[in-house]
Amino acid sequence: MLDILHPKISNINKNNIDINLSEEKIKINIRGKNKEFFTKVGKILSIILPSETNTSSSNENYDVLWLSPDEWMIYFDENKNTNIFDQLYKDISTLNVGSITDISSQLICINIKGENIFELLSSGSPFNFEKFKNNVGSSTQTLVNHIDVILHHKSKNNVNLFVRRSFSEHLYEWLVDSSNFI
Amino acid sequence: MFLINCPFCGERDQSEFSSGGEAHIVRPKQPTELSDDEWAEYLFMRKNIKGIQFERWNHAHGCRKWFNVVRDTSNDKILSVYKMGEKPPVNYK
Repeated sequence: MLDILHPKISNINKNNIDINLSEEKIKINIRGKNKEFFTKVGKILSIILPSETNTSSSNENYDVLWLSPDEWMIYFDENKNTNIFDQLYKDISTLNVGSITDISSQLICINIKGENIFELLSSGSPFNFEKFKNNVGSSTQTLVNHIDVILHHKSKNNVNLFVRRSFSEHLYEWLVDSSNFI
Repeated sequence: MFLINCPFCGERDQSEFSSGGEAHIVRPKQPTELSDDEWAEYLFMRKNIKGIQFERWNHAHGCRKWFNVVRDTSNDKILSVYKMGEKPPVNYK
């Protein structure tokens, strides 16, 4: 049975792979196309939304992941600026400039670190990690063990994996089990 | 299994995509003026050819965008990929 906020995930270290539940993060999905949208988001977050496929932008407060040509995900630690959603919603959603959705409860962030993490992910994913692992800041949406995930290459051999809460425990168990065979 | 070059995300495995069937089927402007046979023709009848076919695909486990593909159904070779709203490449007609 899952906890309301966290699935039953404990920290694991096997074969140079660290798997742990990341501290609770705020995740915001933003969608928009027009110039006004980009200007407002840039002004509120002090960050330029990544326009290049499978990339991300970061500053000291936020990480922004490219999801599709008109969709991004912002995530940041819960203890950082908590009223950013209200600001974005007020300036963008209510004025129909774009769409802002708080998806913090939808996704769980599992942090995977270590030298062999890409071997682990490759063992259950159709995605080619060759380019991804050499570029810190890359992001992608793909399947791992047939489960939809969003991956962010945060720093060298350190990946934040976002998965739907209901799949998180199952995926975690698969990651732990598969790390035995790397 | 084959690779599809998503116009937004790049080359990905087919398992990340879902097929949307034949492309470029135009909805009749006046459905009420059609006979039942003509409406059924539009709604249900699809080409299922061995050879070059124009199809819609959706990158369901990626960017979730729709796009068009020209695929040779006899060998699953993707000949061309183009975005929704773009005209199909003439050299495959």
